[in-house]
Amino acid sequence: MVGLSLGEKHFIQGGIAQDLRCDGRKRLAYRPISVETGVIPQANGSARIRMGATDVIASVKAELGRPSLLLPDKGKVSIYIDCSSTAEPAFEGRGGDELAAELSNALQHCLLGGKSGAGAGIDLSSLIIVEGKICWDLYIDGLVVSSDGNLLDALGAAIKAALSNTGIPRVQVAAGTSNDEQPEVDVSDEEFLQFDTSGVPVIVTLTKVGRHYIVDATSEEESQMSSAVSISVNRQGYICGITKRGGVGLDPSIILDMISVAKHVSEQVISKLDSEIASAEAEEES
Amino acid sequence: MVFEREAETTLACGAQTSFRSRRRRTQRHISPSVRLILRMEYVSPEGLRLDGRRPMEMRQIRAEIGAVSKADGSAIFEMGNTKVIAAVYGPREVQNRSQISNHALVRCEYSMANFSTGDRMRKSKGDRRSTEISLVIRQTMEASILTHLLPRSQIDIYVQVLQADGGTRSACINAATLALADAGIPMRDLVTSCSAGYLNSTSLLDLNYVEDSAGGPDVTLGILPKLDKVTLLQMDSKLPIDILENVMQLAIEGCKAIANYIREILLENTKQLEYRRGV
Repeated sequence: MVGLSLGEKHFIQGGIAQDLRCDGRKRLAYRPISVETGVIPQANGSARIRMGATDVIASVKAELGRPSLLLPDKGKVSIYIDCSSTAEPAFEGRGGDELAAELSNALQHCLLGGKSGAGAGIDLSSLIIVEGKICWDLYIDGLVVSSDGNLLDALGAAIKAALSNTGIPRVQVAAGTSNDEQPEVDVSDEEFLQFDTSGVPVIVTLTKVGRHYIVDATSEEESQMSSAVSISVNRQGYICGITKRGGVGLDPSIILDMISVAKHVSEQVISKLDSEIASAEAEEES
Repeated sequence: MVFEREAETTLACGAQTSFRSRRRRTQRHISPSVRLILRMEYVSPEGLRLDGRRPMEMRQIRAEIGAVSKADGSAIFEMGNTKVIAAVYGPREVQNRSQISNHALVRCEYSMANFSTGDRMRKSKGDRRSTEISLVIRQTMEASILTHLLPRSQIDIYVQVLQADGGTRSACINAATLALADAGIPMRDLVTSCSAGYLNSTSLLDLNYVEDSAGGPDVTLGILPKLDKVTLLQMDSKLPIDILENVMQLAIEGCKAIANYIREILLENTKQLEYRRGV
């Protein structure tokens, strides 16, 4: 809940118009990102991301399951987000459910590609063990511990970091089972396979305040937004998904403009995140 | 005689698991037969527990103040693999006007993260277990907060379990104490909590998940260490009175040790605040 006076609102809007925001950033500058990996030992992979006062945790759990009948050669990935009431008293009880559902949907759009699984950041065919019989189900859980705006970008980054921290046990399939039976498998406790996460996109949210748009808005700035567009971009510079929030309409040409800006910003974010993840992994191992 | 008592506890354990296992089977699948086998070995002949601790040894505790920067007070508290975050909002205006009174209104919500247990679970907030724990935490904290000093205001305590490995109740109370102290809310004393149990005819301090699900008695105790008063006492299963006295004494010792640690953390935090202000 953000309660702002008229003067404060003008100050925020005026600052954005002059390319100098309340915390001294420029319009297209991110807050410093800090990454911590392996925070949840029970999970196959986990990460905690902090950007200013925004604090999120993502965990990845892998369970053996059956592939769906329509896509026998692909594993399943699902994303659930939970907004803890520690982040804001308004999330108490069922208060956070609406935001949680909005975030889960947006992340699914941005990271998992379409229904067919094409264009997903994670290679779904790498999750298959026996075609049509056994696959890995990945459950990605996000938890918002503290919220100060830009949750979607933070969650996207946390999921990317958690996936690169994830180890999937190596599985041996017992040979000699006929086609009809469910094959027996032996899950290794020691050998883990690492994911290829280079294709996982990052999400860049551009928030439109007045006539300009900014990245990585704080909750004060978000309260002044007219609309926001979240664009997920992968390393190759391809757009993997777009979601628009906020009630005010946008001119199509502005959206195209935003996309090209997001593509430019994403390059910096990806390289920053990569180096942070690498140093977090190194710290965890030492 | 001793043997008879052993058998009795085993029976009691069987009857009692039906209730406990219902809420726990969702977390980790331990069949009753496996549990019986495991039960024999909670304390090895050398006097070591499953995780290598001695019977009267606590898990490693770690605390950190100021984990949620937006909250008025917050803390992370870890006991071994159990890890909880507490955030305090308040004292602030009462949200529901019909609840205004001469005393501060204390509210509490307990929730578990989906990834907090071994097997992933997805359950909604507000099931019976979390409602019960919320109530327990609220009552325990209310006993130490000087509510009469804060009329017409409300204090919200939110605890979030990140990892559950037994003793979440105690960890939540300890985290909430730290968060309340961080928020600067007037309190009679710090409340600290610790659990103790009795397995293989040995009193054990600070049960972890495996020991907790063994079905033996589990005493959770909360005390005001300086005033030497008990504010929370819960036990399931049954115990002879003289042994309960012993187990309770052990839990009290545990609570006091935690209180000392919490005091150290608070002192260090205050020193840092002082330093930042340049006093």
